[in-house]
Amino acid sequence: MPRIIACYKWVVDEAYIRTDSSPELDLEYADKKMSDYDRNAIEEAIQLYEKYGGSVAAITVGHPYDTKGVKDALSRGPEKAYFINDPSFENLEPAQTAAILADVITAKTEYDLIICGEGSSDLYAQQVGPRLAELLDIPCVTMVSKIDLAGEQLIAERKADDGIETVSLSLPALLTVLPDINSPRIPGLRDTLAASKKPVIEIVKDELSGNFAPCLQVLASFKANMERNGQKLSDEAADIAFLLDTLQSKGIIARGVK
Amino acid sequence: MAGIWVFAEDYEHNLELIQGGTELAQKLASKIVVILPHNAGNDEKAHDCIARGADEILYLPPLAEDEDFMACIPLIVAEVLQEKPDVFLIGSSLRGKELAARIAARLNTGLCSDCISLELSADDQSLIMERLIFGGAAVQRVSIPTRPQMATIPPRLFSPAAVQEGRTGNIRELPPAPPSKVKILGKKTRTHEAAALTEARILLCVGRGVEKEEDLTLVRELADLLGAEIGCTRPISDEMHWLPEECCIGLSGIQVKPELYIGIGVSGQIQHITGIRDARIICSINNDENAPIFAVSDYAIQGDLYKVLPLIIEGLKK
Ligand SMILES: Cc1cc2nc3c(=O)[nH]c(=O)nc-3n(C[C@H](O)[C@H](O)[C@H](O)COP(=O)(O)OP(=O)(O)OC[C@H]3O[C@@H](n4cnc5c(N)ncnc54)[C@H](O)[C@@H]3O)c2cc1C
Repeated sequence: MPRIIACYKWVVDEAYIRTDSSPELDLEYADKKMSDYDRNAIEEAIQLYEKYGGSVAAITVGHPYDTKGVKDALSRGPEKAYFINDPSFENLEPAQTAAILADVITAKTEYDLIICGEGSSDLYAQQVGPRLAELLDIPCVTMVSKIDLAGEQLIAERKADDGIETVSLSLPALLTVLPDINSPRIPGLRDTLAASKKPVIEIVKDELSGNFAPCLQVLASFKANMERNGQKLSDEAADIAFLLDTLQSKGIIARGVK
Repeated sequence: MAGIWVFAEDYEHNLELIQGGTELAQKLASKIVVILPHNAGNDEKAHDCIARGADEILYLPPLAEDEDFMACIPLIVAEVLQEKPDVFLIGSSLRGKELAARIAARLNTGLCSDCISLELSADDQSLIMERLIFGGAAVQRVSIPTRPQMATIPPRLFSPAAVQEGRTGNIRELPPAPPSKVKILGKKTRTHEAAALTEARILLCVGRGVEKEEDLTLVRELADLLGAEIGCTRPISDEMHWLPEECCIGLSGIQVKPELYIGIGVSGQIQHITGIRDARIICSINNDENAPIFAVSDYAIQGDLYKVLPLIIEGLKK
C-alpha cells in the first residue's frame, strides 16, 4: 500500500497583479493561494489512496506565516503535513526548494511515491519535481495525465511534444502531474474543520543539514505592461460594421470574399 | 576555450539554439558543441550543424525502443563534468524541460526556465536572462553564479543559424547509456500543427465561453471567411479536448504574433494573455463587462458571442 507524499507551494495569487502601466511589482496587498496544479497533485494522491490504501502526507517549504496554506492543504485530504519553514524560505529558487525538500524527505519520511504539480503558478519553472527526483535518486516522470499502480510497479501516461507515452517504473518514484489528470474537489466546511485537528510536523532551519545556497540569482522583478487603450464596442450591428470597416481600412481583413 | 553547449529535441529548434549560441560564442571566444540524437549511420545533420556554426557534434547513443530518452542524462552529465562548458542551452520542449532540470540538479547548477531574453553582462561576461513569472504578469531578471549557466529556450527566440562556407568540426559519439529506470510500454504519436498557428496572420481563439463542441462550426465558418487559423485556451484543448493540445495559446502552450487576434469567449487570464502580447490587434468578444481580456484589447466587444459571430460573418459576406 503506497505511502504517498504530495508536494505543494503556497503562492501569491497572480490575479492581484494589475496589468497596468506602472512597472513596479507590488505584492504587498496580494493574497496567497494554493498553487493551481498542486491542487491536482494533492487530489491525485488522495484518489490513489482511495483506490489502493496506504497514506498521504503533504509537504511544503515556506515562510512561518504560511500556516493558512498548511490548513488549506490538509483540508484537501492528506492525514498530516510537513511544514518546513523559516523567514528566509520566502523567495527560494527551484534548486533551493528541491534541496530542502530532499533533505527533509530523506531524514524524516518514508515514502513510495512523491507527487508534484507540473509547475507552480508563480514561477512556473517546472524544476522542483525533476530536481527532487535526481537528488533522491529515484525514477522520475513529468507531465503525467494518468496513474495506475500494480504492486511495486507504476504505469503512467506522460505527455510529450510528439505524443503520449505509456511508461512503467518501479516504486519509489516521483511524478509531476498535469491539470487534466483529475478535477480537484473543493474542500467543504467539514474538511476545513477536520484539517485543524490533523498533525502538522514543523521543521525549522536548524534541523536541516546541507547547503541551500541559490544557484539562480534574481537581479530584478518588474511588471510586464500589456494594457492597451481599448475601444469599447457593443454587440449591435452598427458597432460590428464599424469594427469591420476599421480592420479593412487597416488592410487586415478583406470583405465580400465569398 | 570554454564551450557553449546546445541541445533541442526538434532539429529546427536546434538550429535556432546554434544561432543563439553563436551570438554568445563570438563575444566569449568559445566553441559551440551540439548534442544530437543518434545518427543511424547518417551524418547529414551533423555536417549541416557544423556548416551552421557547430565546432563539435556529440551523438547520443542509440536507445532501444522501450528505453526512456532520459537514460542519456548520466552520459551528458559525465561529459559536462569533463568538458566544463560555460553555457548549456536546451530547447524547452516538454522532454527538454525535464532533461534540463534533472541535469541541472546533478550538476548542482542554476537553470533559467523558459528564458525570453539573454545577454552578456558588461562586467564579467556572465549571462543576464529574463523569464516570465506570475503567469506572465511580471518579468524576472536572473543570473547564474554556478557553472554551467543553464537555460531552457522556447522555439523562435532566435532565427535558425545560416550555412557558412568552409566550416569544419569534430564528430564524436557518446558511450552506450545505462538501462533507464523508466520503460516505454507504448506510444501514441500525434502530428504537430503548431507551425500554422505561430505563423498565422489572423487567429481566432476559442475559449470556454463557447458552449458546445458543435458550436466550433460557427468559428470555423468565420475562420474560412477570414483565412484565419483557430487556436484555443488551455481548458478547450487540455480539458475539453475539442482541439489538439498544440493549439493551446499561452504560458504552457504557444506564443503567437498575428496581425489580428479575436478572442471568442476568452476571459483573458494572464497565463493566456501572455501568449498574445505580441499580437498587433487584439479584439475580444465577451459578455462579461469585467472580463480581464478587455483591459488588454484594442477592440472590446461586450456581448453574446452567439449574437456577435453571426453579425461578423454576415458583415464579411457583404
Ligand atoms: C501555470 C498555469 C499555466 C497556464 N497556462 C495556460 C495557457 O498556456 N493557456 C491558457 O489559455 N490558459 C492557461 N492557464 C489557464 C488560465 O489560467 C485560464 O484558466 C484559462 O485561460 C481560461 O480559459 P477561458 O478563457 O477559455 O475560460 P474561462 O476563464 O472560463 O472564460 C470563459 C469566458 O467566456 C465568457 N463567456 C461565457 N459565455 C459567453 C457568451 N455566450 N458570449 C461571450 N462570452 C461568453 C465568460 O464571461 C468568460 O469570461 C494556465 C494556468 C496556470 C495556473
